Amino acid sequence: MENNDPIEGAYIWIVESATGAVSDENGNFIVKNLCAGNYSLTIQYLGHKEIKDTLTLNSNNFNKTYRLEEESLDLSGVEIHGHKLAVQTTTAVTALYGDALLEARGENLGESLKRISGVTTFSTGNSISKPVIHGMHSNRIMILNNGIRLEGQQWGAEHAPEIDPFVADEITVIKGAETVRYGPEAMGGVILVNPAPLPTKKNPKTNIYLTGASNGRSGNISVSHANGSDKIKGLGYQVQASAKRAGNIHSPDYYQGNTGLSELNFSGSLGYSSTKLGIEGYYSYFNTTLGILRDSHTGNLDDLINIIKNGRPFSDPGFTYEIINPKQVVSHHLAKLKSHYHLSDSWKLNFQYGFQANNRQEFDKRRGDLNAKPSLDLELFTNTLDLFVDHSLKNEWSGSFGINAIQQANSNVPGTGVTPLIPNYDMLNLGIYAIEKYSKGPLEVEGGLRFDTRSVSTARYVQSELQTADLSYNNFSAFIGTLYQVSPKITFNSNLGTAWRPPNVNELFSEGLHHGAAAVEIGDADLNSEKSIKWVNEIEYDGTKTHLEITGYANHIKDYIYLNPTGDTFVSLRGTFNVYEYLQANAFFYGVDFSASYEFSNRLNGYAKGSIIRAKNTEEDNYFPFIPSDRMDWGLAFKFGSLTSTKTNKLTLSNMLVARQKREPDFDLAPAPPAYALFNLGYQRQLEIGKDKLNLGLQVQNLFNTSYKEYMNRFRYFTDDMGRNILLKINYQF
Amino acid sequence: MMRFKNRTFLACALFGLALASCKSEDPVIENDEEVITDVTLRFTELNSSGTSVGDPFEFKASDPQGIELGTPTIESVTLSKGKSYKMEIILFNSIAGEDITAEVQEEADEHQFFFLGTAFVGSPVLTYSYNDQGGELIGLNGTVMVSQSPGFNNANMRIILRHDLDKNYPGATNPNFENFAQAGGETDLDITFPLVLE
Repeated sequence: MENNDPIEGAYIWIVESATGAVSDENGNFIVKNLCAGNYSLTIQYLGHKEIKDTLTLNSNNFNKTYRLEEESLDLSGVEIHGHKLAVQTTTAVTALYGDALLEARGENLGESLKRISGVTTFSTGNSISKPVIHGMHSNRIMILNNGIRLEGQQWGAEHAPEIDPFVADEITVIKGAETVRYGPEAMGGVILVNPAPLPTKKNPKTNIYLTGASNGRSGNISVSHANGSDKIKGLGYQVQASAKRAGNIHSPDYYQGNTGLSELNFSGSLGYSSTKLGIEGYYSYFNTTLGILRDSHTGNLDDLINIIKNGRPFSDPGFTYEIINPKQVVSHHLAKLKSHYHLSDSWKLNFQYGFQANNRQEFDKRRGDLNAKPSLDLELFTNTLDLFVDHSLKNEWSGSFGINAIQQANSNVPGTGVTPLIPNYDMLNLGIYAIEKYSKGPLEVEGGLRFDTRSVSTARYVQSELQTADLSYNNFSAFIGTLYQVSPKITFNSNLGTAWRPPNVNELFSEGLHHGAAAVEIGDADLNSEKSIKWVNEIEYDGTKTHLEITGYANHIKDYIYLNPTGDTFVSLRGTFNVYEYLQANAFFYGVDFSASYEFSNRLNGYAKGSIIRAKNTEEDNYFPFIPSDRMDWGLAFKFGSLTSTKTNKLTLSNMLVARQKREPDFDLAPAPPAYALFNLGYQRQLEIGKDKLNLGLQVQNLFNTSYKEYMNRFRYFTDDMGRNILLKINYQF
Repeated sequence: MMRFKNRTFLACALFGLALASCKSEDPVIENDEEVITDVTLRFTELNSSGTSVGDPFEFKASDPQGIELGTPTIESVTLSKGKSYKMEIILFNSIAGEDITAEVQEEADEHQFFFLGTAFVGSPVLTYSYNDQGGELIGLNGTVMVSQSPGFNNANMRIILRHDLDKNYPGATNPNFENFAQAGGETDLDITFPLVLE
């Protein structure tokens, strides 16, 4: 479609002077204040071929007309180097996609996200790991599975997120307090697990992933297929399934008994989009059986002290795939319906409904027939409804406002033969919010306000007496943020946001024995909501050879809820137990994350990333338990083969340095483990077979089979961490 | 795969849009089937040829409300110097009304009692030997010999029931095995009875 129409909004960039312009409605643009000399000029406009030109400037005025040639927007076969973030926000955002995600394939969500600086894990052995953002985890962060807030039993330290990372094409971490946008609990940050957008025309794509690992002798397969319809324009679908099986994990000196897992997941989506209307249905199913290290299940405090003193499990049953009690069997269904309608060029109406059903069964080592019964059996249903309007006005304003409802029903399934740890409950949360952004040139300023009201009603039997409670919580939250493009290479953003988190049902009502900790945990029904204010600042430098990102933050939390050892013990016929109670105190978290890379030559690239967190109970002037210690990961990558080739062919050697956590709480069952250093080796290669792509990855983790314990792993009391692991990762795309 | 209660599942899935019909189930009283609330030591005097003489007598430790809330009451054990006794251990769950002794007997390969405390270790005043049916070392049945001239008249009998241990672990055949933890497993009972010798 060749014509002479002027193009509005094309970007013009003068490389030498680092100045630019945007063409006006008549297609005109002016670049002023240039000295005489040679200049390189770049012109870009979406859907058109980029123009590169060099020109010599002698006179005071210079005029030239450029014609942009239209280019098909079909991006298949095009290497995409740029990257659009999954969320437009002024706070610090980092995403895992492309090659980095390819290297993480086969790992669980927590492990995958460790690749992002400032994100660590809070784990229970090697199969259960929860992401930690800036020292916060569980109910203080939020995970969105394809836009729906994941509602499982996240309160438990040993409850891993019920999500298969293979559904994702991209995983994004927002490090700011995003309660206004996403609702209560998004206090430490938000994790967005997003599948690829659905195809809108016929273009069949299949992805097969095969992963094998020597440690645990695990195998993992995932297959996904996406295509669009050639009959109905805008109709597309995607289906995906994955399976995983692993046996006992090996520490350098022994096998960890009963640490296998098996997982089966699938998801599918169907969507239609036209210029005005978009509609999408999505369903995902997650099912896992996780073995729990036999020796971590202690009978009483003496047992716990004995195994801590031993430093390793008493048993070494060798290798097996068999999973026995104690174990967890968890399934999670998520269905969603999403639609948007363009009311006009600048206004869009959005609707999203999600249904989730979560079943968590925990089996303990018990006597006789009781072994077949779960000791904990919880059924959680969640409905979420979002209704919001987006606008992107012709002037500098854009934003959205909407309402959000979350409704939840949690029941203990009868027949466990154990008094339930938490009561049955119903919860309803209603929220209303507005976010507005002003963008002009290099500056973006954003602000938002939200009000939430939540009611919770609980019921349970205590000593054969029905005990009920009705609780309600209300809260305003707000944020303000800015992003400023200081120069083409330097971006700065700053975000100040409040967040809140109503106390969880376990914090309010727990009253029971926690076998792994030989502890009786006691809740407090009078706990207040936690309220926080978090300030995040990020500066990013993107030079030709150097890339640098530094994030600094401070988070003050009023009435932070924590589990405190009372110092009392409880004596029973089974022996002695520690008693813990839920308390509240003001907390202050602050820290720095950094990530840097430098190109030494066109073959050799170096990188370093790390994080430092400080967290203090400002009332008691002591430290909270399970805060990640200082850590850093640095490495060198060497590129093989042709320099002009865009196909990956590189070898990476990296070194992970983790300091000892010197800021320990006043009471811990065992002192923090010593510092450790691990070496990892990776080789990644992309091959083209006709039009198909084959990605091969070979990784060696913990190269020297070092024995170590990670402070953030709850099983550090019982066992060394995982020994050497050799992984082969194959991905075929056709 | 469908473990959910179908009724609730449907109500929540189909009527969820109304955000109203999806309610949690009414709570149910759950009996703690796992707990051992009563532990009885039943002694019967044995004559020199190992035959029972006289009536059996019992000492009891009980914790009627289970682990989290109760306070156990433990009776003092009184035995006579120089005598031998048959000692049976009887386990009961008064919450669920269940005899646990039979369950432990059924899982003989996974359970074992160990006898520690000043009564059994150091300069012991009691000598224990397993005498269970089927020859498996459990400790539900055994004999206790009281020293003729003990060094002291008051001692502690610490009785430990281990579950899921490696019974072939070196040393585990000793009823007074102090490093029982090395054999793995976990503790189901750990009770210290005061002992008085007359």
